[in-house]
Amino acid sequence: MSHLGSLISALIDGELEGLELDRANAHLAGCAACQTEASALRQLKRELRTLGDLDGADAMTGRLLAMIAAPGAPGAPDAPDGSGSSVRARALERKPGRRVRRRRGRYVIWSAMSLVVVGVGAAAFGMGGASSAGNEPQITPQLEVFDVQHALTSGDVPFADPADARARTPTRTTLAAPAVPVNDDAALLRAAVAVGAKRP
Amino acid sequence: MLAILGHEHASAGADLLTPTALSADTTVGPLPTAPTGTDTAVRNSVSDVQRTSGAPITVLSDVAASQEAFAMSLLGKAATAGQSTSYQGVELTSQSGVDGSVTMVSQVWHQGGGLTVIRTSSGATSVVSSESGGQSPAAVFGVTKAMLSLLGQHYVAVYRGTGAVDGRVAAIVEVYRFDGTLAARYWLDNRTLVPLRREVFDPSDNLVSDDAFTQVRIGALAAGAAKAAVSAASGPTWVTASSPGTLLDSLADEGWQLPAILPGNLPLYAASWSDSGSDDVIDLEYSDGLSVISLFIQRGTLAASLPGWRGMSLDGRHVYVSGHSIAWTGHGVVYTMVADAPPQTVTAAVAGLPDSDQPGLAGRLTRGFDRLAHLVDPFG
Repeated sequence: MSHLGSLISALIDGELEGLELDRANAHLAGCAACQTEASALRQLKRELRTLGDLDGADAMTGRLLAMIAAPGAPGAPDAPDGSGSSVRARALERKPGRRVRRRRGRYVIWSAMSLVVVGVGAAAFGMGGASSAGNEPQITPQLEVFDVQHALTSGDVPFADPADARARTPTRTTLAAPAVPVNDDAALLRAAVAVGAKRP
Repeated sequence: MLAILGHEHASAGADLLTPTALSADTTVGPLPTAPTGTDTAVRNSVSDVQRTSGAPITVLSDVAASQEAFAMSLLGKAATAGQSTSYQGVELTSQSGVDGSVTMVSQVWHQGGGLTVIRTSSGATSVVSSESGGQSPAAVFGVTKAMLSLLGQHYVAVYRGTGAVDGRVAAIVEVYRFDGTLAARYWLDNRTLVPLRREVFDPSDNLVSDDAFTQVRIGALAAGAAKAAVSAASGPTWVTASSPGTLLDSLADEGWQLPAILPGNLPLYAASWSDSGSDDVIDLEYSDGLSVISLFIQRGTLAASLPGWRGMSLDGRHVYVSGHSIAWTGHGVVYTMVADAPPQTVTAAVAGLPDSDQPGLAGRLTRGFDRLAHLVDPFG
Protein backbone atom coordinates (compact mmCIF):
# COMPACT_ATOMS: atom_id res chain seq x y z
CA MET A 1 0.00 0.00 0.00
CA SER A 2 1.48 3.36 -1.06
CA HIS A 3 1.99 6.13 1.40
CA LEU A 4 -0.54 8.32 -0.28
CA GLY A 5 -2.95 5.46 -0.39
CA SER A 6 -6.19 6.31 -2.13
CA LEU A 7 -5.00 9.90 -2.65
CA ILE A 8 -2.85 8.76 -5.56
CA SER A 9 -5.91 8.03 -7.66
CA ALA A 10 -7.43 11.37 -6.74
CA LEU A 11 -4.16 13.11 -7.58
CA ILE A 12 -3.94 11.46 -10.99
CA ASP A 13 -7.58 12.27 -11.68
CA GLY A 14 -7.01 15.89 -10.76
CA GLU A 15 -9.44 15.81 -7.90
CA LEU A 16 -7.11 17.24 -5.31
CA GLU A 17 -6.72 20.93 -4.74
CA GLY A 18 -5.34 23.44 -2.34
CA LEU A 19 -3.34 22.27 0.65
CA GLU A 20 -4.17 18.64 0.00
CA LEU A 21 -2.79 18.90 -3.52
CA ASP A 22 0.38 20.56 -2.24
CA ARG A 23 0.97 17.92 0.34
CA ALA A 24 0.41 15.13 -2.12
CA ASN A 25 2.83 16.60 -4.62
CA ALA A 26 5.39 17.23 -1.90
CA HIS A 27 5.20 13.60 -0.81
CA LEU A 28 5.31 12.32 -4.34
CA ALA A 29 8.46 14.30 -5.00
CA GLY A 30 10.29 12.43 -2.30
CA CYS A 31 8.72 8.98 -2.39
CA ALA A 32 9.85 6.55 -5.07
CA ALA A 33 7.13 4.03 -4.27
CA CYS A 34 4.37 6.55 -4.74
CA GLN A 35 5.99 7.83 -7.90
CA THR A 36 5.96 4.30 -9.30
CA GLU A 37 2.36 3.80 -8.44
CA ALA A 38 1.38 7.18 -9.86
CA SER A 39 3.17 6.38 -13.07
CA ALA A 40 1.35 3.09 -13.33
CA LEU A 41 -1.97 4.77 -12.75
CA ARG A 42 -1.29 7.33 -15.47
CA GLN A 43 -0.42 4.55 -17.91
CA LEU A 44 -3.58 2.74 -17.03
CA LYS A 45 -5.55 5.88 -17.59
CA ARG A 46 -4.07 6.30 -21.04
CA GLU A 47 -4.91 2.71 -21.92
CA LEU A 48 -8.47 3.20 -20.82
CA ARG A 49 -8.78 6.21 -23.08
CA THR A 50 -7.66 4.04 -25.95
CA LEU A 51 -10.26 1.49 -25.12
CA GLY A 52 -12.88 4.19 -25.09
CA ASP A 53 -11.94 5.33 -28.68
CA LEU A 54 -12.67 1.88 -30.03
CA ASP A 55 -16.10 1.87 -28.58
CA GLY A 56 -18.41 -0.39 -30.61
CA ALA A 57 -15.79 -1.53 -33.12
CA ASP A 58 -14.86 -4.85 -31.55
CA ALA A 59 -16.85 -7.54 -29.77
CA MET A 60 -14.12 -8.07 -27.23
CA THR A 61 -13.94 -4.38 -26.61
CA GLY A 62 -17.65 -4.31 -26.21
CA ARG A 63 -17.51 -6.99 -23.58
CA LEU A 64 -14.71 -5.17 -21.77
CA LEU A 65 -16.73 -1.98 -21.85
CA ALA A 66 -19.68 -3.90 -20.56
CA MET A 67 -17.61 -5.19 -17.70
CA ILE A 68 -16.53 -1.68 -16.87
CA ALA A 69 -20.08 -0.45 -17.04
CA ALA A 70 -21.45 -3.42 -15.00
CA PRO A 71 -23.78 -2.15 -12.24
CA GLY A 72 -22.74 -2.72 -8.64
CA ALA A 73 -19.05 -2.93 -9.40
CA PRO A 74 -17.10 -1.03 -6.76
CA GLY A 75 -16.41 2.43 -8.02
CA ALA A 76 -17.87 1.51 -11.37
CA PRO A 77 -17.26 4.33 -13.83
CA ASP A 78 -20.05 6.10 -15.62
CA ALA A 79 -18.26 6.02 -18.96
CA PRO A 80 -15.05 4.63 -20.33
CA ASP A 81 -13.74 8.09 -21.00
CA GLY A 82 -10.76 8.11 -18.68
CA SER A 83 -12.67 9.75 -15.86
CA GLY A 84 -11.13 9.42 -12.44
CA SER A 85 -13.71 7.00 -11.11
CA SER A 86 -13.07 4.47 -13.91
CA VAL A 87 -9.33 4.67 -13.46
CA ARG A 88 -9.72 4.37 -9.76
CA ALA A 89 -11.96 1.31 -10.14
CA ARG A 90 -9.64 -0.44 -12.58
CA ALA A 91 -6.63 0.45 -10.49
CA LEU A 92 -8.26 -0.83 -7.34
CA GLU A 93 -9.51 -4.01 -8.99
CA ARG A 94 -6.34 -5.05 -10.83
CA LYS A 95 -3.79 -4.91 -8.01
CA PRO A 96 -5.87 -6.66 -5.32
CA GLY A 97 -6.91 -9.34 -7.88
CA ARG A 98 -3.31 -10.26 -8.59
CA ARG A 99 -2.54 -10.41 -4.90
CA VAL A 100 -5.65 -12.47 -4.21
CA ARG A 101 -4.73 -14.94 -6.92
CA ARG A 102 -1.23 -15.33 -5.49
CA ARG A 103 -2.66 -15.71 -2.00
CA ARG A 104 -5.16 -18.25 -3.19
CA GLY A 105 -2.42 -20.18 -4.90
CA ARG A 106 -0.40 -20.29 -1.73
CA TYR A 107 -3.45 -21.47 0.20
CA VAL A 108 -4.02 -24.26 -2.28
CA ILE A 109 -0.43 -25.39 -2.10
CA TRP A 110 -0.33 -25.29 1.68
CA SER A 111 -3.66 -27.06 1.93
CA ALA A 112 -2.52 -29.79 -0.41
CA MET A 113 0.71 -30.23 1.50
CA SER A 114 -1.16 -30.34 4.79
CA LEU A 115 -3.52 -32.95 3.46
CA VAL A 116 -0.59 -35.06 2.29
CA VAL A 117 1.16 -34.76 5.64
CA VAL A 118 -1.98 -35.54 7.58
CA GLY A 119 -2.76 -38.45 5.30
CA VAL A 120 0.69 -39.94 5.58
CA GLY A 121 0.68 -39.40 9.34
CA ALA A 122 -2.70 -41.07 9.68
CA ALA A 123 -1.52 -43.99 7.58
CA ALA A 124 1.61 -44.30 9.69
CA PHE A 125 -0.43 -44.15 12.89
CA GLY A 126 -2.78 -46.79 11.60
CA MET A 127 0.00 -49.08 10.51
CA GLY A 128 2.10 -48.49 13.61
CA GLY A 129 -0.21 -50.18 16.00
CA ALA A 130 0.23 -53.69 17.42
CA SER A 131 2.21 -55.98 15.20
CA SER A 132 0.26 -56.77 12.12
CA ALA A 133 -0.30 -60.24 10.86
CA GLY A 134 1.18 -59.32 7.55
CA ASN A 135 4.82 -60.22 7.95
CA GLU A 136 5.15 -61.89 11.37
CA PRO A 137 4.30 -65.49 12.17
CA GLN A 138 1.22 -66.04 14.31
CA ILE A 139 2.23 -67.97 17.40
CA THR A 140 0.14 -70.21 19.62
CA PRO A 141 2.37 -71.14 22.56
CA GLN A 142 2.86 -74.89 22.63
CA LEU A 143 2.20 -75.42 26.29
CA GLU A 144 2.20 -79.19 25.83
CA VAL A 145 5.89 -78.77 25.04
CA PHE A 146 6.68 -75.90 27.39
CA ASP A 147 4.95 -77.39 30.45
CA VAL A 148 6.92 -80.57 30.00
CA GLN A 149 10.23 -78.79 29.50
CA HIS A 150 9.54 -76.69 32.59
CA ALA A 151 8.75 -79.79 34.64
CA LEU A 152 11.88 -81.54 33.49
CA THR A 153 14.16 -78.66 34.38
CA SER A 154 12.42 -77.82 37.66
CA GLY A 155 12.15 -81.44 38.77
CA ASP A 156 8.41 -81.70 39.12
CA VAL A 157 5.42 -83.27 37.41
CA PRO A 158 4.23 -81.60 34.19
CA PHE A 159 1.43 -79.21 35.01
CA ALA A 160 -1.29 -79.36 32.35
CA ASP A 161 -2.49 -75.79 31.99
CA PRO A 162 -5.94 -75.25 30.43
CA ALA A 163 -4.36 -74.23 27.14
CA ASP A 164 -2.10 -77.26 27.21
CA ALA A 165 -3.20 -79.57 24.41
CA ARG A 166 -2.83 -82.51 26.73
CA ALA A 167 -5.43 -80.99 29.07
CA ARG A 168 -7.86 -80.03 26.32
CA THR A 169 -7.48 -83.25 24.39
CA PRO A 170 -6.32 -86.03 26.68
CA THR A 171 -3.50 -87.92 25.06
CA ARG A 172 -0.73 -90.31 25.84
CA THR A 173 2.70 -89.03 25.05
CA THR A 174 6.20 -90.01 25.86
CA LEU A 175 8.54 -87.22 26.78
CA ALA A 176 11.78 -87.44 24.82
CA ALA A 177 13.94 -85.87 27.47
CA PRO A 178 17.63 -86.61 26.99
CA ALA A 179 19.22 -87.59 30.27
CA VAL A 180 22.57 -86.07 29.30
CA PRO A 181 22.26 -82.52 27.97
CA VAL A 182 23.79 -81.98 24.55
CA ASN A 183 26.00 -78.91 24.66
CA ASP A 184 26.11 -77.15 21.33
CA ASP A 185 26.78 -73.45 21.68
CA ALA A 186 27.19 -73.00 17.95
CA ALA A 187 23.69 -74.30 17.38
CA LEU A 188 22.40 -72.02 20.08
CA LEU A 189 24.04 -69.00 18.50
CA ARG A 190 22.47 -69.93 15.18
CA ALA A 191 19.18 -70.25 16.96
CA ALA A 192 19.59 -66.78 18.44
CA VAL A 193 19.98 -65.37 14.94
CA ALA A 194 17.25 -67.55 13.49
CA VAL A 195 14.71 -66.44 16.05
CA GLY A 196 15.17 -63.02 14.49
CA ALA A 197 16.25 -60.60 17.15
CA LYS A 198 15.52 -56.99 16.40
CA ARG A 199 17.81 -54.23 17.48
CA PRO A 200 16.13 -51.74 19.81
CA MET B 1 -6.52 -69.47 49.84
CA LEU B 2 -4.82 -72.83 49.77
CA ALA B 3 -5.96 -75.45 52.23
CA ILE B 4 -3.33 -76.83 54.54
CA LEU B 5 -3.58 -80.58 54.81
CA GLY B 6 -2.99 -82.05 58.22
CA HIS B 7 0.52 -82.57 59.43
CA GLU B 8 2.15 -82.87 62.82
CA HIS B 9 5.42 -82.12 64.47
CA ALA B 10 6.71 -85.07 66.47
CA SER B 11 8.89 -84.43 69.47
CA ALA B 12 12.64 -84.79 69.18
CA GLY B 13 14.02 -88.26 69.82
CA ALA B 14 11.33 -90.23 68.00
CA ASP B 15 13.10 -90.10 64.67
CA LEU B 16 15.57 -92.56 63.26
CA LEU B 17 17.82 -89.91 61.79
CA THR B 18 19.93 -88.27 64.51
CA PRO B 19 21.84 -85.14 63.56
CA THR B 20 25.42 -85.11 64.77
CA ALA B 21 27.23 -82.34 66.68
CA LEU B 22 23.96 -80.90 67.94
CA SER B 23 22.88 -79.86 71.35
CA ALA B 24 19.96 -81.64 72.97
CA ASP B 25 17.62 -78.94 71.77
CA THR B 26 16.94 -79.67 68.12
CA THR B 27 14.45 -76.88 67.69
CA VAL B 28 16.40 -73.84 66.55
CA GLY B 29 14.78 -70.48 67.08
CA PRO B 30 14.74 -67.50 64.69
CA LEU B 31 17.99 -67.09 62.84
CA PRO B 32 20.17 -64.27 64.22
CA THR B 33 20.47 -61.19 62.06
CA ALA B 34 23.57 -59.07 61.72
CA PRO B 35 23.33 -55.35 62.54
CA THR B 36 22.28 -53.02 59.78
CA GLY B 37 25.22 -51.69 57.86
CA THR B 38 27.26 -54.83 57.85
CA ASP B 39 29.00 -54.96 54.53
CA THR B 40 29.85 -58.62 54.18
CA ALA B 41 28.19 -61.79 55.28
CA VAL B 42 30.19 -64.17 57.41
CA ARG B 43 28.62 -67.54 56.92
CA ASN B 44 29.72 -69.99 59.59
CA SER B 45 28.84 -72.94 57.38
CA VAL B 46 30.13 -75.09 54.58
CA SER B 47 29.05 -72.50 51.99
CA ASP B 48 31.09 -69.39 51.38
CA VAL B 49 28.41 -67.11 50.01
CA GLN B 50 29.11 -63.45 50.56
CA ARG B 51 26.84 -60.52 50.05
CA THR B 52 28.25 -57.04 49.68
CA SER B 53 25.07 -55.16 48.95
CA GLY B 54 25.06 -53.59 52.38
CA ALA B 55 21.59 -54.89 53.07
CA PRO B 56 20.99 -56.68 56.38
CA ILE B 57 22.28 -60.23 56.16
CA THR B 58 22.05 -63.29 58.29
CA VAL B 59 24.91 -64.55 60.32
CA LEU B 60 24.53 -68.09 61.50
CA SER B 61 25.53 -69.36 64.86
CA ASP B 62 27.56 -72.54 65.13
CA VAL B 63 24.47 -74.50 66.03
CA ALA B 64 22.52 -73.12 63.11
CA ALA B 65 25.43 -73.74 60.77
CA SER B 66 25.60 -77.40 61.65
CA GLN B 67 21.85 -77.63 61.35
CA GLU B 68 22.10 -76.24 57.87
CA ALA B 69 24.77 -78.70 56.82
CA PHE B 70 22.69 -81.57 58.05
CA ALA B 71 19.56 -80.24 56.39
CA MET B 72 21.31 -79.82 53.05
CA SER B 73 22.66 -83.31 53.40
CA LEU B 74 19.15 -84.64 53.90
CA LEU B 75 17.87 -82.77 50.87
CA GLY B 76 20.76 -84.08 48.78
CA LYS B 77 19.91 -87.63 49.74
CA ALA B 78 16.27 -86.91 49.00
CA ALA B 79 17.24 -85.85 45.49
CA THR B 80 18.97 -89.17 44.97
CA ALA B 81 16.12 -91.11 46.53
CA GLY B 82 13.59 -89.45 44.25
CA GLN B 83 15.35 -91.00 41.28
CA SER B 84 16.63 -94.29 42.58
CA THR B 85 13.66 -95.38 44.71
CA SER B 86 10.52 -96.90 43.25
CA TYR B 87 7.31 -95.29 44.42
CA GLN B 88 3.75 -94.64 43.38
CA GLY B 89 0.94 -92.52 44.64
CA VAL B 90 -1.39 -89.62 44.00
CA GLU B 91 0.20 -86.21 43.94
CA LEU B 92 -1.94 -83.23 44.85
CA THR B 93 -0.62 -79.92 43.59
CA SER B 94 -2.11 -76.56 44.49
CA GLN B 95 -0.49 -73.31 43.49
CA SER B 96 -1.37 -69.62 43.72
CA GLY B 97 -0.94 -67.87 40.38
CA VAL B 98 -1.54 -64.40 39.06
CA ASP B 99 -4.98 -65.53 37.92
CA GLY B 100 -6.01 -67.35 41.07
CA SER B 101 -5.22 -70.81 42.39
CA VAL B 102 -4.57 -73.75 40.11
CA THR B 103 -4.79 -77.33 41.26
CA MET B 104 -3.90 -80.63 39.73
CA VAL B 105 -4.21 -84.25 40.74
CA SER B 106 -1.75 -86.67 39.19
CA GLN B 107 -1.15 -90.35 39.50
CA VAL B 108 2.55 -91.03 39.55
CA TRP B 109 4.44 -94.25 39.08
CA HIS B 110 8.21 -94.20 39.26
CA GLN B 111 10.47 -97.13 38.62
CA GLY B 112 13.71 -96.55 40.48
CA GLY B 113 16.35 -95.55 37.91
CA GLY B 114 13.83 -96.04 35.12
CA LEU B 115 10.59 -94.64 33.81
CA THR B 116 8.24 -92.23 35.49
CA VAL B 117 4.63 -92.27 34.38
CA ILE B 118 2.39 -89.36 35.24
CA ARG B 119 -1.32 -89.32 34.55
CA THR B 120 -3.06 -86.01 35.23
CA SER B 121 -6.66 -85.48 36.25
CA SER B 122 -7.45 -84.34 32.70
CA GLY B 123 -6.53 -87.77 31.39
CA ALA B 124 -3.25 -86.78 29.78
CA THR B 125 -0.47 -89.27 30.39
CA SER B 126 3.19 -88.43 30.22
CA VAL B 127 6.09 -90.79 30.39
CA VAL B 128 9.47 -89.48 31.40
CA SER B 129 12.45 -91.55 30.38
CA SER B 130 15.15 -91.86 32.98
CA GLU B 131 18.72 -92.67 32.06
CA SER B 132 21.55 -93.82 34.23
CA GLY B 133 24.28 -91.42 35.16
CA GLY B 134 22.36 -89.34 37.66
CA GLN B 135 21.06 -86.98 35.02
CA SER B 136 17.51 -88.21 35.16
CA PRO B 137 15.08 -85.36 35.04
CA ALA B 138 12.50 -87.32 37.03
CA ALA B 139 12.26 -85.83 40.49
CA VAL B 140 9.80 -85.08 43.24
CA PHE B 141 8.74 -81.57 44.27
CA GLY B 142 11.72 -79.96 42.61
CA VAL B 143 14.27 -81.72 44.81
CA THR B 144 17.11 -82.16 42.33
CA LYS B 145 20.86 -81.69 42.60
CA ALA B 146 20.73 -78.63 40.37
CA MET B 147 17.93 -77.02 42.36
CA LEU B 148 19.67 -77.75 45.66
CA SER B 149 22.84 -76.12 44.43
CA LEU B 150 20.87 -72.95 43.75
CA LEU B 151 18.90 -73.26 46.97
CA GLY B 152 22.08 -73.38 49.02
CA GLN B 153 23.17 -70.05 47.50
CA HIS B 154 19.94 -68.21 48.20
CA TYR B 155 18.48 -69.79 51.31
CA VAL B 156 19.35 -71.38 54.61
CA ALA B 157 18.04 -74.91 55.23
CA VAL B 158 17.40 -76.09 58.78
CA TYR B 159 16.42 -79.51 60.11
CA ARG B 160 13.33 -79.16 62.30
CA GLY B 161 12.70 -82.64 63.61
CA THR B 162 10.06 -85.08 62.40
CA GLY B 163 6.43 -85.05 61.46
CA ALA B 164 4.00 -87.23 59.54
CA VAL B 165 2.53 -87.30 56.05
CA ASP B 166 -0.12 -89.77 54.95
CA GLY B 167 0.64 -91.88 57.99
CA ARG B 168 4.37 -92.03 57.32
CA VAL B 169 7.01 -90.52 59.63
CA ALA B 170 8.88 -87.77 57.86
CA ALA B 171 11.91 -85.58 58.54
CA ILE B 172 11.09 -81.91 58.31
CA VAL B 173 13.48 -79.48 56.65
CA GLU B 174 12.66 -75.81 56.64
CA VAL B 175 14.17 -73.32 54.22
CA TYR B 176 14.64 -69.69 55.26
CA ARG B 177 15.44 -66.52 53.39
CA PHE B 178 18.39 -64.47 54.55
CA ASP B 179 16.02 -62.05 56.28
CA GLY B 180 14.79 -64.91 58.47
CA THR B 181 11.38 -65.43 56.86
CA LEU B 182 10.26 -68.96 56.11
CA ALA B 183 10.38 -69.80 52.41
CA ALA B 184 9.54 -73.50 52.25
CA ARG B 185 9.07 -76.64 54.27
CA TYR B 186 9.85 -80.18 53.11
CA TRP B 187 8.71 -83.50 54.50
CA LEU B 188 11.06 -86.37 53.63
CA ASP B 189 10.14 -89.97 54.21
CA ASN B 190 12.09 -90.86 57.34
CA ARG B 191 13.09 -94.26 55.99
CA THR B 192 13.88 -93.61 52.32
CA LEU B 193 14.06 -89.78 52.21
CA VAL B 194 11.69 -89.68 49.23
CA PRO B 195 10.01 -86.24 49.38
CA LEU B 196 6.42 -86.59 50.53
CA ARG B 197 5.31 -82.99 50.78
CA ARG B 198 6.42 -79.43 50.11
CA GLU B 199 4.96 -76.10 51.20
CA VAL B 200 6.18 -72.81 49.74
CA PHE B 201 5.57 -69.40 51.35
CA ASP B 202 5.91 -65.90 49.99
CA PRO B 203 7.77 -63.16 51.90
CA SER B 204 4.48 -62.26 53.64
CA ASP B 205 4.13 -65.77 55.09
CA ASN B 206 1.29 -66.67 52.72
CA LEU B 207 1.16 -70.27 51.56
CA VAL B 208 1.53 -70.08 47.79
CA SER B 209 2.20 -73.70 46.88
CA ASP B 210 1.28 -76.99 48.48
CA ASP B 211 2.40 -80.29 46.93
CA ALA B 212 1.62 -83.52 48.74
CA PHE B 213 1.61 -87.25 48.14
CA THR B 214 -1.34 -89.33 49.20
CA GLN B 215 -1.90 -93.07 48.92
CA VAL B 216 1.86 -93.30 48.54
CA ARG B 217 3.58 -96.64 48.34
CA ILE B 218 7.33 -96.84 48.35
CA GLY B 219 8.99 -99.94 47.03
CA ALA B 220 8.41 -102.25 44.09
CA LEU B 221 5.72 -100.97 41.79
CA ALA B 222 2.47 -102.85 41.31
CA ALA B 223 2.36 -104.88 38.09
CA GLY B 224 -0.37 -102.72 36.59
CA ALA B 225 1.82 -99.67 36.56
CA ALA B 226 3.83 -100.94 33.61
CA LYS B 227 0.71 -100.87 31.40
CA ALA B 228 0.58 -97.12 31.55
CA ALA B 229 3.85 -96.81 29.70
CA VAL B 230 3.86 -95.87 26.02
CA SER B 231 6.55 -97.08 23.70
CA ALA B 232 6.32 -94.40 21.02
CA ALA B 233 8.66 -91.51 21.48
CA SER B 234 7.56 -87.98 20.77
CA GLY B 235 8.39 -84.41 21.68
CA PRO B 236 11.17 -82.10 20.55
CA THR B 237 14.80 -82.34 21.51
CA TRP B 238 16.26 -79.49 23.48
CA VAL B 239 19.86 -78.47 22.92
CA THR B 240 21.38 -77.15 26.13
CA ALA B 241 23.88 -74.32 26.33
CA SER B 242 27.10 -75.07 28.15
CA SER B 243 27.19 -71.43 29.26
CA PRO B 244 23.85 -69.64 29.66
CA GLY B 245 25.68 -66.36 30.19
CA THR B 246 27.45 -66.66 26.84
CA LEU B 247 24.16 -67.27 25.11
CA LEU B 248 22.70 -64.22 26.80
CA ASP B 249 25.63 -62.12 25.56
CA SER B 250 25.08 -63.45 22.04
CA LEU B 251 21.42 -62.59 22.23
CA ALA B 252 22.32 -59.09 23.47
CA ASP B 253 24.55 -58.65 20.41
CA GLU B 254 21.52 -59.45 18.27
CA GLY B 255 19.51 -56.77 19.99
CA TRP B 256 17.74 -58.82 22.63
CA GLN B 257 17.07 -57.19 25.97
CA LEU B 258 16.96 -60.18 28.30
CA PRO B 259 18.03 -60.05 31.95
CA ALA B 260 20.60 -62.28 33.58
CA ILE B 261 18.64 -62.02 36.82
CA LEU B 262 14.89 -61.70 37.04
CA PRO B 263 13.32 -59.53 39.74
CA GLY B 264 12.95 -61.63 42.85
CA ASN B 265 16.62 -62.57 42.67
CA LEU B 266 16.14 -65.40 40.18
CA PRO B 267 19.37 -65.88 38.24
CA LEU B 268 19.60 -67.48 34.83
CA TYR B 269 20.96 -70.95 35.44
CA ALA B 270 20.19 -72.84 32.22
CA ALA B 271 19.38 -72.13 28.60
CA SER B 272 18.41 -74.35 25.71
CA TRP B 273 16.99 -74.25 22.25
CA SER B 274 14.47 -76.36 20.41
CA ASP B 275 13.13 -76.50 16.91
CA SER B 276 9.49 -76.62 17.89
CA GLY B 277 7.65 -77.32 14.69
CA SER B 278 7.84 -74.35 12.38
CA ASP B 279 9.66 -72.06 14.74
CA ASP B 280 12.80 -71.98 16.81
CA VAL B 281 12.26 -71.51 20.51
CA ILE B 282 14.79 -70.42 23.09
CA ASP B 283 14.24 -71.55 26.66
CA LEU B 284 15.75 -69.55 29.50
CA GLU B 285 15.54 -71.02 32.98
CA TYR B 286 15.62 -68.78 36.04
CA SER B 287 15.62 -70.13 39.58
CA ASP B 288 16.86 -69.58 43.11
CA GLY B 289 16.44 -73.25 43.96
CA LEU B 290 12.86 -72.81 45.15
CA SER B 291 11.04 -70.62 42.63
CA VAL B 292 11.46 -71.64 39.01
CA ILE B 293 10.54 -69.55 35.99
CA SER B 294 10.91 -70.92 32.47
CA LEU B 295 10.87 -68.27 29.77
CA PHE B 296 10.25 -69.41 26.19
CA ILE B 297 10.86 -66.83 23.48
CA GLN B 298 10.10 -67.08 19.79
CA ARG B 299 9.76 -64.61 16.96
CA GLY B 300 6.25 -63.59 15.95
CA THR B 301 3.07 -62.34 17.49
CA LEU B 302 0.40 -64.12 19.46
CA ALA B 303 -2.35 -65.63 17.36
CA ALA B 304 -5.69 -63.87 17.33
CA SER B 305 -7.41 -66.96 18.73
CA LEU B 306 -5.89 -68.60 21.81
CA PRO B 307 -8.12 -71.40 23.11
CA GLY B 308 -7.58 -72.04 26.78
CA TRP B 309 -5.98 -68.65 27.40
CA ARG B 310 -7.58 -65.71 29.18
CA GLY B 311 -6.64 -62.10 28.59
CA MET B 312 -5.99 -59.95 31.62
CA SER B 313 -4.10 -56.92 32.81
CA LEU B 314 -1.03 -57.69 34.86
CA ASP B 315 0.59 -54.69 36.48
CA GLY B 316 -0.65 -52.48 33.70
CA ARG B 317 0.31 -54.64 30.74
CA HIS B 318 -1.96 -56.86 28.70
CA VAL B 319 -1.09 -60.55 28.93
CA TYR B 320 -2.75 -63.93 28.43
CA VAL B 321 -2.88 -66.47 31.25
CA SER B 322 -3.46 -70.20 31.28
CA GLY B 323 -2.97 -71.88 34.64
CA HIS B 324 0.56 -71.04 35.71
CA SER B 325 1.59 -69.91 32.23
CA ILE B 326 1.62 -66.33 30.97
CA ALA B 327 2.12 -65.17 27.39
CA TRP B 328 2.44 -61.79 25.70
CA THR B 329 3.93 -60.18 22.62
CA GLY B 330 6.65 -57.60 22.89
CA HIS B 331 8.36 -55.96 19.90
CA GLY B 332 7.78 -58.83 17.53
CA VAL B 333 8.64 -61.55 20.03
CA VAL B 334 6.28 -63.90 21.84
CA TYR B 335 7.20 -64.51 25.46
CA THR B 336 5.70 -67.53 27.23
CA MET B 337 6.44 -67.79 30.91
CA VAL B 338 5.81 -70.98 32.87
CA ALA B 339 6.26 -70.17 36.54
CA ASP B 340 6.40 -71.99 39.85
CA ALA B 341 6.82 -68.94 42.03
CA PRO B 342 4.76 -66.67 44.28
CA PRO B 343 2.40 -64.40 42.33
CA GLN B 344 4.27 -61.24 43.29
CA THR B 345 7.52 -62.76 42.04
CA VAL B 346 5.87 -63.69 38.76
CA THR B 347 4.38 -60.22 38.36
CA ALA B 348 7.76 -58.61 39.01
CA ALA B 349 9.40 -60.98 36.53
CA VAL B 350 6.91 -60.07 33.81
CA ALA B 351 7.50 -56.39 34.55
CA GLY B 352 11.23 -56.94 34.13
CA LEU B 353 10.83 -58.18 30.57
CA PRO B 354 10.02 -56.27 27.35
CA ASP B 355 6.60 -54.76 27.43
CA SER B 356 3.51 -55.80 25.55
CA ASP B 357 3.16 -54.58 22.01
CA GLN B 358 1.45 -51.31 22.83
CA PRO B 359 3.72 -48.47 21.70
CA GLY B 360 3.13 -44.84 22.54
CA LEU B 361 2.33 -42.20 19.94
CA ALA B 362 5.94 -41.63 18.90
CA GLY B 363 6.68 -45.35 18.84
CA ARG B 364 3.56 -46.06 16.87
CA LEU B 365 4.36 -43.38 14.30
CA THR B 366 7.95 -44.59 14.02
CA ARG B 367 6.85 -48.15 13.48
CA GLY B 368 4.21 -47.03 11.01
CA PHE B 369 6.70 -45.03 8.95
CA ASP B 370 9.02 -48.02 8.95
CA ARG B 371 6.26 -50.19 7.56
CA LEU B 372 5.30 -47.60 4.97
CA ALA B 373 8.92 -47.40 3.88
CA HIS B 374 9.01 -51.16 3.69
CA LEU B 375 5.97 -51.10 1.43
CA VAL B 376 7.66 -48.61 -0.85
CA ASP B 377 11.00 -50.37 -0.83
CA PRO B 378 10.72 -53.94 0.47
CA PHE B 379 14.42 -54.47 -0.02
CA GLY B 380 15.46 -51.30 1.75
